[in-house]
Amino acid sequence: MSLPPVANPKHDVKVPDVDPEEKWRPYREPLAPGEHPHRPPEGYKILGTRVPLVDGPLKVSGQGVYADDLFLPHMLHAKLLHATHPHARIRAIDVSAAKRLPGVVDVLTGLELGTGHRFGVLPLTKDEEPLAAEKVRYIGDLVAIVAAEDEWTAKEAVRLIRVDYEDLPAVLKPMDGLKPSADKIHPDIGIDETNVQKYVDQEFGDVEAALRKAEYTIRRKWKFQGVTHGFTEPHAVVAHYTAKDRLVLWSATQVPHYVHRALAEVTGLPPHRIQVIRPQVGGGFGGKSDPFPHEMAAALLAMRTRRPVKLLFDRDESFYSGRGRHPTENEFAIALDRDGTLRAMDIEAVIDGGAFASFGIISTYYNGVLSMGPYKVPAFRYKGRRVYTNHIPSGAMRGHGAVNSRCTLEVLLDEAAEELGLDPFAVRLRNLMPAYSHTINDFRITSNGLRECLETVRAASKWDERWRRLPLGQGLGLGCGFYISGSNLPIHWDIPGMPQSTVHVKIDWDGGVTVHTGAAEIGQGSDTVAAMIVAEVLGIPLDRVRVYSNDSDLAPVDLGSYSSRVTFMMGNAARKAAEEVRRELQRAAADVTGAQPELFVCQDDAVVNQADPGMRVSFLDAVRKAMDHKGALVARGSFNSTKMGGTFKGATAGLAPAYSLNAYVAQVEVDLETAQWRCTKVWAAHDCGKALNRLAVEGQIEGSIHMGLGQVYSESLEYRGANLRNPNLLDYKIPTSLEMPDVEVFIVESNDAEGPFGAKEAGEGPLLPILPAVVNAIHDAVGVRMHELPVTPDRLYEVKERQGGWKKPTLPKASVTVKAGGRHR
Amino acid sequence: MSMLLPPFQVHEPSTIEDAVRLKAQQPESDWIAGGTDLLPNYKWMLNTRPHVISLHRVGALREITPKRIGALATLTQLATHVELRESLPVIAHTAGLIASPLIRNSGTLGGNLLLENRCFFFNQAHLWRESINFCLKASGTQCHVVPQESKCYATFSADLPGPLIALGAEFELAGPKGTRRIAASKFYKNDGIDRHEKRPDELLTFVHLAADASKWRASYQKLRQRDSWDFPELGIAVALKMEGEKLGEARIVANALECAPKDVSHLADSYRGKPLNERAIDEIAAAVEQNVRPVKNTNLSPSYRKKMARVFAKRALLEARGGGVRLNGARA
Repeated sequence: MSLPPVANPKHDVKVPDVDPEEKWRPYREPLAPGEHPHRPPEGYKILGTRVPLVDGPLKVSGQGVYADDLFLPHMLHAKLLHATHPHARIRAIDVSAAKRLPGVVDVLTGLELGTGHRFGVLPLTKDEEPLAAEKVRYIGDLVAIVAAEDEWTAKEAVRLIRVDYEDLPAVLKPMDGLKPSADKIHPDIGIDETNVQKYVDQEFGDVEAALRKAEYTIRRKWKFQGVTHGFTEPHAVVAHYTAKDRLVLWSATQVPHYVHRALAEVTGLPPHRIQVIRPQVGGGFGGKSDPFPHEMAAALLAMRTRRPVKLLFDRDESFYSGRGRHPTENEFAIALDRDGTLRAMDIEAVIDGGAFASFGIISTYYNGVLSMGPYKVPAFRYKGRRVYTNHIPSGAMRGHGAVNSRCTLEVLLDEAAEELGLDPFAVRLRNLMPAYSHTINDFRITSNGLRECLETVRAASKWDERWRRLPLGQGLGLGCGFYISGSNLPIHWDIPGMPQSTVHVKIDWDGGVTVHTGAAEIGQGSDTVAAMIVAEVLGIPLDRVRVYSNDSDLAPVDLGSYSSRVTFMMGNAARKAAEEVRRELQRAAADVTGAQPELFVCQDDAVVNQADPGMRVSFLDAVRKAMDHKGALVARGSFNSTKMGGTFKGATAGLAPAYSLNAYVAQVEVDLETAQWRCTKVWAAHDCGKALNRLAVEGQIEGSIHMGLGQVYSESLEYRGANLRNPNLLDYKIPTSLEMPDVEVFIVESNDAEGPFGAKEAGEGPLLPILPAVVNAIHDAVGVRMHELPVTPDRLYEVKERQGGWKKPTLPKASVTVKAGGRHR
Repeated sequence: MSMLLPPFQVHEPSTIEDAVRLKAQQPESDWIAGGTDLLPNYKWMLNTRPHVISLHRVGALREITPKRIGALATLTQLATHVELRESLPVIAHTAGLIASPLIRNSGTLGGNLLLENRCFFFNQAHLWRESINFCLKASGTQCHVVPQESKCYATFSADLPGPLIALGAEFELAGPKGTRRIAASKFYKNDGIDRHEKRPDELLTFVHLAADASKWRASYQKLRQRDSWDFPELGIAVALKMEGEKLGEARIVANALECAPKDVSHLADSYRGKPLNERAIDEIAAAVEQNVRPVKNTNLSPSYRKKMARVFAKRALLEARGGGVRLNGARA
């Protein structure tokens, strides 16, 4: 797409003199299987088994309390007025008719509130307001909020509000956002006179030279529609400014801590007078990982009325609050030797940020730099632009920033392999980056089980006998993935040294173990993994442990459930807290028996002398001994990420304490008359380091496949003019159980040296490979290369007509065998 | 789960006569049976009314026999009715293709036959429609599909009318002046607003199947993106009477492509008395494609839906004729 440089480049990064071979040289040996510094000497009892989520029984029985289940005395119901113009100045708002409606208690408008209440998830781009103060920026933007005695009255009152708009030119095509504009969507943010919110221009090595000298190059353009999270529970919040002058906010959120900070900024209250409670959350997937305007508006309304205010979204409002995957246009070029060795990668991307910044700085980086793995890239260039448009704000969605670029790259590798006469597996295996090494932009790579992933799915799918050999209409495709296991750096740096996660463990006379953590359980299983880790370290059954993770007054801070960080960071913090308790129990057992504390291990609900197993103190006795004249046992553990990475601008984007890797083979069947297709089978191998809860890991992989498949199959945020055409779950087509393929999961355990007990993430990375695997399988089935998602049947049919019909691709002429190498290299 | 609905008064008559009388007294009312169409539309403030007459106590309307089906029979009952599956399998099959299992448990035959036509610009929340100044079908003066002020292009999206028309069914209507019967093939009008011949004061009570209905060999083929939940992107109903290898009579209905189901049976007229071989089927199917005019107000493109009318007509003809549906691809 040949993006022009920005007019006043401030942050271009050029590192021409990288030495790839030096970066790729392993800095340590992988851990042997079964060896890990966190492993209990007597082996695992709970970790590695299949444990149903500890909060599951409450949820499936209807006893789980979600935000909308809360009813407080004197509670008001709120409804929002959303903008009906995509970009317009607010001249006046008439709320008189709304206020006259019986039952209406208060109406708050952005015009009345004024500017000066800005917030945003990233400290550098605080461009959001509780309610639009001066102008609206997309259809669905928040204009006013009404509180009434009941929900219907609030809804009726909203319809009685009259807004006088003065229309401004709307930016509805991302490419138009690159042009100078007299009416910038955010006049004080962004690059030059354009609507570019963030640009990235980076180069490592000499890409031009590599492309020029290459034996083979290939370049492709792609287009991705926006997609949204489709969580079950719409956003919901209850806000209460109590008689004790404290603001209490219950909200369906993934990031209680960021909501806490934003509330303090917007309301002006000191943080200690704010309490954020996360009730049960019905899914997030990134759609609840920003502090939201509606949370702020509800809080302000509660402060004005001094009554509790409940605000429950309709489904369309959850669509409008957005933060889904960016609509994307990108172009990738790669240079390879004839044997498939990767020589250079050249990426351009324009991503449609919609009306607000959200995580946009990070999204812009991720769309390029997360292509640095899992292959050895000796030269790399990336130009990324995130533009403001008058669309629904984009943000972080499962696989944040990596999904579309991954699809482009993995399909490009498939195309390159075909043209070079190579097997797609051979190309990947030839370029595998080594475990415990670095990329040329100084990502620190730790464990890497991709080779095992590839070998597993190749064998399981009978690839060598079936790829290119199935009848016309049936095909197999390969896709790989690489994803961060937690963002290495926190978003805020105002409190140096503040841990990214802290866990408290408390044990009292009853022998119950209370775990306090701020890690937001949103259905992904974080409460369960916290309980399992603590139970494992203390050698006790799971039912002794109860996890309190939802109340900022009680829980030590965890930064939130995003960037696949919770198991790694909270897991390590929980482990350390439990280890501290274990030391106290060992001392207590020593006091009781007179033996040395180091001799004792915690197992089978007791503290046992390893040298003399007959010498044991029950867990409860050990606890009571440890409490003697001191009271309840309390301990804490925390996690701070290791310092790593380069020093250039943007060096921290994409840095992670570990990376997950995966390889999938998908099988598809295409109806040759209608171009309707089905993914019928997926062989999915994912390296999560160590599966702490196998059931949860399998669930995450299956769920990721379903979600990723939706983006290929049918999901798309469709606009008609400035309007989202399909803000409902009938027209926004999430695949049903009937479209779900049979999935065979293979968990690969590369035993990460720093992950808790060897674990890495499994919540987002498993989404990446399914998109390219399916697109490549469609090509194997019918010989059509799609470069746009979703692959709806009308779109596939049209491309087929254009290229003159279906055609089974042939086997590669050359046959390259790649020898199996060492473990996880 | 609460659903945020505008306030309305519910009336619950227990006989057809009471229902009709109530309707005459409260012309500003809607009938409600399963509610799976009406209530979502009410929630979006689409042509809401202050009175709703519920039919759930009118037990007479629940009857299911191969001759006569009450309008209150649920789609699940139709899909699973043993006798119906024997004698009129296409009706049971089609009912089972509608929406999702949960919706079929409440949705009724009458509700499907009278389903509101659907459109991008109509099936939206109030806020959304306000942002485009509403549309011809609700609160506005302009059609946004084909911008003009006279005709609404909302797409007919019910499935059961297709096979019922093909099988020669009749609809019974009860009104203040008594009951009347009208052929299903004459019932629908090709207009997204003025959709059918039922007068506002009439109640659709029964569907009568023709005496020879079970003698026809029928098929209904439905195109949609997902195999559950979705409304049809198109549906082709075919009923055939064969005389050995030769075609006796054919009825073909192209459904969900325009504002009403389209009876295109005449396209097969010249094939009567001739062997219904693959070539004849291909030609009839090609003619079906030429005779339908979809517009851009459903999810898949109109040009694709038009081309698929041919494929689905062929499949319906092949299945009705017998000898199995030949599927070139995977979706057997």
